Parts: sequence; C-alpha cells; structure tokens
Amino acid sequence: MLLYGGVGGLLFWGGRGDNAGENGLTSTMSASPTSASTLRHALLANREQALTQLYHRAFPLVRRHVCRHGGSAQDAQDIFHDALVLLYEQAVGGTLVLTASASTYLVGIGRNLWHHERRRRARLPHETLPDDHLAQLASEPPALPEADVAVLDYVERLGEKCKRMLLAFYYFQQPLAQIAAAYGYGSVRSATVQKFKCLERLRQSVRAAFGVETLTH
Amino acid sequence: MRPALERLLLIEQQLLNDPAALPAAEWQLRQLLDPDLQADTAAQQRLYAGLRAVGRRELRRELAGIHARLYGPLPSAWPHRAAAWLRAFIQAN
Repeated sequence: MLLYGGVGGLLFWGGRGDNAGENGLTSTMSASPTSASTLRHALLANREQALTQLYHRAFPLVRRHVCRHGGSAQDAQDIFHDALVLLYEQAVGGTLVLTASASTYLVGIGRNLWHHERRRRARLPHETLPDDHLAQLASEPPALPEADVAVLDYVERLGEKCKRMLLAFYYFQQPLAQIAAAYGYGSVRSATVQKFKCLERLRQSVRAAFGVETLTH
Repeated sequence: MRPALERLLLIEQQLLNDPAALPAAEWQLRQLLDPDLQADTAAQQRLYAGLRAVGRRELRRELAGIHARLYGPLPSAWPHRAAAWLRAFIQAN
C-alpha cells in the first residue's frame, strides 16, 4: 500500500518477502526488503551493476503501468529514469528508508510520478514533458540561475579526469579511498589535494567568466 | 595543501556538515573577521549546485546506456533480420 505525500515524502508500506534474512546485492534488488545501507553499499561498490539489476527488475512493471494509463514507452522510460535518479540520491545521501525491496520502492515512485505527470498534462495539454520535471515535482527550483548554467559548461571543460573526480565525490558520493584507488593516487590525501585543485580550477573558470558578483549573488 | 586549497576545505566542511566543521559560533566569528568568507562560501555553494546538475545529467546518460543495453534497438532491427532470414530461406529453396 502506498501513502503519498509528495515525491520527496513518499511513504511506503510493503508486504515483506520470503527472503528477509538474505543480504547482499541480489537480495537488495529482489522482492525482500533490505536495508537502505545495503543498497547504498551496492550502488557505491558497482553502480552500473546495481542500477542494471534494479532496471531489469523494476522497469517492465513501470512501463506496463504507464502504458496502461495513457502513456507511451518513452514516457515510461523518462519517468523511470526520474525515479532511479531520486532513489540513487536518497540512497547514497543516506536519507532513504526502505520498508520494501528497492525495486518495489522504485515502482511506487514511478507510479506516483506518472500520476503527477498525467495531472500536469490534463492541466497543460499542449506542453511537453519538461527536461527535468523531477526537480519541479520535488519542489526544487525549476531552472538554474545563469551562473549555475555556467558551472555546467565549465565542468565539461575541466578535462575528463577532473570532471570524473569531482562528480564521483560530490554527486555520486563515492568515498575518497575508492576514488584514490580508481584514479591511481597513492593515498587518500593525494586524492583529496587533487580534488581541491580541480574544484579551485572550476571556481576560477567560472569567476573569470562571470565575475565575483554574479557567482556570489 | 596550499592556503587557497585549505580555504576550500574549510568552507566545504561547513557546507557539507563534515564532522570537522567549526561550531556555528566560531564560524560566525570567522565570517566577521574575514569579509570575503561569506561571498566565497556562497560561490562554493553555487559550484556544488552546478556539480549536482551535471551529476544528474551524467546519471541519466548512464541510465540511457543501461536501457539501450537491456532493451536497445531490437524493434527496428527485427524486421531486417526477418527479411534476411526469408531471403536466405527463398534462396536455399
């Protein structure tokens, strides 16, 4: 049973599966409820594998729901990606509370997002799905200010290694020890220094382009 | 680390609620004594917002890749495969 209180406030009552005692990656994605920390660990250890398993389990259910309720396969994909982004951010950010399996939770988010999208389309029938409607549903500012858009642009210009490193730490929230190993740094300290050098380069680029006032106000 | 990097670290500890963050009163005192600190903190917060937006875009890109691997361009490829199979069948007979 789902109790809905906005996208960010999704409360979940789920039936408990048979394998509640299991642990590890497979059980995290399966019908059994597992802890959010297990899911977090799986996502940080091997993001692609964990996301693929979640995708494989939950997407067909979300697609079926969306297609049965007036949506297209593309709608289903967009909605499902929004749901996975939300789940990822909650899981690695430590704010996720799972009382059912991760895939059941994902299906619940997908159903609610699609419900909201249908209501939005009924109100605004001629408007297409916005690029980042998740942000709007989650009551975040719908558009980035000009200086933030500049940050996006300058992150892309940082160079692949710096960009990957900053995203690994600040968005994907990988531990510095893992980042140090992945990028061949001898110690966490070296990786930390490099991360701040990259951040400093980004700051200087944005500041040079937009000036201090734009960046700070 | 260089002083400029140490400053980034200090601000980051405050913004990300790191265990090493200064107590609120001490942070406020620093802001009073260092007129640029508030502006630098706001600027760093903007960088984090931008990185979050880029990260989301990157995650969506990864999800599109997973989708393509799991369900990828089979629908359009399948008529071509069926036609090729039919052609081969007709030629063989």
